[in-house]
Amino acid sequence: MSGLRRFLHTPEAVAGVVILAALFAMALSASLLFPGDPQSIAGPALLPPFQDWSLPLGTDRLGRNVLAELFHGARTSLAVGLAAAAAALAVGAVIGTLAGFAGGLIDEVLMRITDAFQTVPGFLLALAFVSVVGPSLGVVVVAIALSTWTGPARVARAEVLSIRERDYVAGARVIGMHPLAIAFREVLPNALPPVLALSSVIVAAAILTEAALSFLGLGDPNRVTWGGMIAEGRTVLRTAPFLSIVPGIALVLTVLGVYLAGEGIVETTAVKRGLS
Amino acid sequence: MSLLTASNLTKRYSRGGKTVAAVDDVSFAIAPGETLALAGPSGSGKSTVARLVLRLIEPDGGGIVFEGDDFLALGGTALRTRRARLQMVFQDPLAAFNPRATVARVLDDPLRIHGIAPRTERPRRIAQLLERVGLAAALAQRAIHEISGGQRQRVAIARAIATKPSLIVLDEAVSALDVSVRGQILELLLDLQREQKIAYLFISHDLGVVRAIAHRIVLLDAGRIAESGDARAVIDAPRSAIGKALVAAAPRLDRNIRQDGSSTARQS
Ligand SMILES: Nc1ncnc2c1ncn2[C@@H]1O[C@H](COP(=O)(O)OP(=O)(O)OP(=O)(O)O)[C@@H](O)[C@H]1O
Ligand SMILES: [Mg+2]
Repeated sequence: MSGLRRFLHTPEAVAGVVILAALFAMALSASLLFPGDPQSIAGPALLPPFQDWSLPLGTDRLGRNVLAELFHGARTSLAVGLAAAAAALAVGAVIGTLAGFAGGLIDEVLMRITDAFQTVPGFLLALAFVSVVGPSLGVVVVAIALSTWTGPARVARAEVLSIRERDYVAGARVIGMHPLAIAFREVLPNALPPVLALSSVIVAAAILTEAALSFLGLGDPNRVTWGGMIAEGRTVLRTAPFLSIVPGIALVLTVLGVYLAGEGIVETTAVKRGLS
Repeated sequence: MSLLTASNLTKRYSRGGKTVAAVDDVSFAIAPGETLALAGPSGSGKSTVARLVLRLIEPDGGGIVFEGDDFLALGGTALRTRRARLQMVFQDPLAAFNPRATVARVLDDPLRIHGIAPRTERPRRIAQLLERVGLAAALAQRAIHEISGGQRQRVAIARAIATKPSLIVLDEAVSALDVSVRGQILELLLDLQREQKIAYLFISHDLGVVRAIAHRIVLLDAGRIAESGDARAVIDAPRSAIGKALVAAAPRLDRNIRQDGSSTARQS
């Protein structure tokens, strides 16, 4: 419990958690507070914020409720960010573990594949993938995961390379455990902490990538996304800058929140491990 | 007939461009129920021999026959199955277990892998194993890092005997323990040997302990066998230079341990 207390004494971490909590609350309450399609017309077009209290953040070019769009957009951002990061971490951890544990040719092949993915800029890869397969939420998640799994894979491999020389791995072989069981039951769980430490950076990057894809019109067309909102607002940037600024601020706060909370968690667990 | 025969084992490592033989043309045999000690100065290749015998590393030359079969020819499932008969206890009992494991899981693994007991039967087997090595059955629920070093080494022995092996390799298995605990563990090993006719390949640099529990000894020096023979005869009157040096460097040996029937290694 002292870890929790230390966590709560770090103002940055608390700020991060508060932002994330607000974000989750937005995502979860979106369809309660704003039932129905957030893309339907709710009032006059281009109503500025704080004019009409039934539409606190005003309306966009087509008269849609910006606040409702913001809430529903939080959903997409969170869902895509978390799902893509989870997929990237899982794929990276498995590939890194296989490469590091098997060694030899398997390692060589897997690491060349990792190199290949890493030499292509991640965003271009995601962009190409979505343009070829077509935009939908699942495809966007896969595209982002494709462009971010290499980091976790490298970290996992480095960790596994040191763990596989430990006595307990030799001990597992001596009792006749299958190599795959050794890799995934004995080695992988012990290689996870440094891999999971990457998760805040990856979630933040995934949210930004999703926004960027949506901004370019490659997001799921059936969902409101912050990136899509920014892109929409761009056409009326001079007359109604708030249309881009509001989702932009939401995006920045989210990424900041994820990052601060993640750093706080990594730091407190690191201190805890250092003490024990 | 011998239980394990190692013939002309060789293992080379390249270090800084040139190859060095960590183990060079080493041959020995272990009879059922026998304790063969492997002694020698640090870096003489003792652990390398242990790893070769356990097929944790592959030799560059030589052969191993275990229980009548060419052990080096086994692979995959056949090797994993045969591993039940050839177990190991490591020097550092903390490093030898997954840091996340509990005592129960550590003992459950060999029982499960070799199909020794069905799932429902295993908790009882684990309790029996713990009791056999002098631990309370309640210890099963503890995490490995929550028990003492001596208890951990007993768990390691319990794990090694779980699959009813005919040979256990002990690489400095008592070196990290303090003297009184060391005596109890040696006693336990001797009891198990009498009871189940287990053979030991006992690696140690401590000639006092070796003299107390080994039947025969092989002295290694720089990867080669310097001298071998009856453990007490060799230690009492070493002929090789390295044997003389090791005996001279050893703390006062208690020469009467086996004679008076007591098997406890007492050593100041
Ligand atoms: N993986 C390896 N790579 C390179 N050299 C190695 C490797 N393993 C062992 N050696 C070398 O082989 C020699 C024998 O090592 P080994 O660990 O078998 O000695 P030992 O007799 O067990 O020593 P100690 O009493 O210190 O445990 C040493 O010179 C060591 O440096
Ligand atoms: Mg050694």
